[in-house]
Amino acid sequence: MSRPSPLGTVLRWGLFAWMSLVIWAAFFYAPAAAGFQGQSSRIVFFHVPTAWVATLAFLVSCIASIRYLRSRDPKEDIRASAASALGLTFAILATVTGSIFARIMWGSYWNWDPRETSITFLLLIYAAYFALRAAIADPERRATMSAVYAILAFVTVPFLVFVVPRIYWSLHPDTIINTQGRIKMDSRMFQVLMGSLFGFTGLFSWLYSLECRVEGIRRRRQHEVL
Amino acid sequence: MSEGVRLEFDGLAKRFDLRVVFRAVSGAAEPGEVLAITGPNGSGKSTLLTILCGLLRATRGEVRYLADSAEIPRDRWRKYLGIVAPAMSLYENLDALENLRFLALVRGMRDSEARCCECLEAVGLDPARSTTVRGFSTGMHQRLKIAQAILHDPPVLFLDEPGSNLDPAGQDWLEELVARERGRGKTVVLATNDRREMEWGTRRVALSG
Amino acid sequence: MWRFLAESGAVFAKDLRTEFRTRVALNALGLFAVTTLAAVSYTIGPYRIAENDRPFLLAALLWIVIFFAAMAGLDRTFVKEEDTHTAPLLRLSADPLVVWAGKLLFNFVLLGVLIAILVPLYMVLMGFRVDSTAGFLLVLGAGGYTLAVTTTMVAAIIARAMSRGALFSVLSLPLLLPLLIFLIQGTRAAVEGSAEGVSEALRAVVSLGGVMTVVSVVLFPVVWNE
Repeated sequence: MSRPSPLGTVLRWGLFAWMSLVIWAAFFYAPAAAGFQGQSSRIVFFHVPTAWVATLAFLVSCIASIRYLRSRDPKEDIRASAASALGLTFAILATVTGSIFARIMWGSYWNWDPRETSITFLLLIYAAYFALRAAIADPERRATMSAVYAILAFVTVPFLVFVVPRIYWSLHPDTIINTQGRIKMDSRMFQVLMGSLFGFTGLFSWLYSLECRVEGIRRRRQHEVL
Repeated sequence: MSEGVRLEFDGLAKRFDLRVVFRAVSGAAEPGEVLAITGPNGSGKSTLLTILCGLLRATRGEVRYLADSAEIPRDRWRKYLGIVAPAMSLYENLDALENLRFLALVRGMRDSEARCCECLEAVGLDPARSTTVRGFSTGMHQRLKIAQAILHDPPVLFLDEPGSNLDPAGQDWLEELVARERGRGKTVVLATNDRREMEWGTRRVALSG
Repeated sequence: MWRFLAESGAVFAKDLRTEFRTRVALNALGLFAVTTLAAVSYTIGPYRIAENDRPFLLAALLWIVIFFAAMAGLDRTFVKEEDTHTAPLLRLSADPLVVWAGKLLFNFVLLGVLIAILVPLYMVLMGFRVDSTAGFLLVLGAGGYTLAVTTTMVAAIIARAMSRGALFSVLSLPLLLPLLIFLIQGTRAAVEGSAEGVSEALRAVVSLGGVMTVVSVVLFPVVWNE
């Protein structure tokens, strides 16, 4: 086993400091947005990054899945499943933070607007992905089938994200970059949000590398039986 | 496909989750040889055969089909092999001839009708050609499975306990069939625990439990 | 090309013949559809819905009944091959794409039969009327195809796993979510006689079906040969 590198230690402490700063800034530096109930808009600094990480994890998982089918390298399968496990966690966080906000703003936890549908879709995909993995005993077959499923899910995402909202209606506040391509946000809020997105991405990559190592060790132990 | 095919496998290991079926199994068979795979129940004879015919991936190790020392890609193996195995059945709701006709059609064989009848005759199922497989005895089912394996005259023949459920006359006939295929330069891989069948082998791979 | 058609035709004919002799899949689909329809008709009935809501709600109920019936029966064609241990020989005998095309055609025809029985019944029991018959038929055809192509792929995956019955719905549902929305909107537009609405939904359904077809052609051999 390799010892943690000095660079890794610096990065981890850096991440800790950065996330602490983001949390502080979210409550004390950024102003509460106009047009929202009380302080409720502050949830955006945590809700948007978790949704972003859930999406990023999905992307990472799909890329690893494609690479697995090409190379048949078990490491890619580990990457795909590690990214999905994190994606599931963050998708749950995004759903919970989103529905708390929805309750405050619109009076109901759930409205099935297109963005809520998208995140539910991600949740369902992740749940299905792990249900499938649990149902296949053969490791090679499990890796192949779940990779194929991840790709199938991936190709339906554009339809859900881009086509469904055109046909359905939405309550969701405009995303940061709206249709006119202009940023409609207070500059301090925008700084904190970007900082938080950066921090959460860092958090994801750290957790992701940990998860890959843990799963790698678990598999090596199984292989030692061989 | 008249040329012979050499079959090689090297360092094969198979694991299902935590259960290791076998580790590091190697062997080879030349055209005109019978490779006998033996071992107690649960030693992985059938698993090895499914890996060799490309239906299952090994956890580790390699399988090669060589025709004139050129390697045949994995997705084309199926064209070069026929298999009889206990875990592989024919369609119960079709009759004997319909089964063979279907398999010949999807293999893209020409003049398949004559060949199907020929194979049915060869295994002695000619009188039962229009009987639905559901109504077959286990021995008859076994004969039909053998007919299916030789239908496209493949250069490699996998036989997993081929004599099970066959009557003594059937076993004699099977022995003749194996000798004949060998003589025609076919590569035969035989998984068995039957003393008599073991003796047909010209090479042997013994799996331990 | 002719050879491909002849071989897939053989797979289709084989499935049709065995299905005709046992009627396992058709019974599963048909009974499920009729039972659900009876339940819907009994609890909601033709005139309990306000006039304004009728086009949307009736379209939604119709597609939900079709989707659930599809969940009950469209996996049979692959599951049966595995259950009766005929899959290995089919795998060794036929080209993967031939199997895919034959099974897809079988599922499509099965859905077609189901729709042909269900829709007239639905019209009678629920007082469902469409303004644009041509549009409605196009939506049914394109929807049936896309539904068949998606479920065929999922069925091929779950046939190799354990606890398949539940897994089929769990895996199919997220992939079918956008399709469900497009079909409901398309049907609603057909009911209201809006050619524009029908064509917008049709475009979405056809492109989803096209994408799924391309992905299936690439990935089905991977799944089938695993």
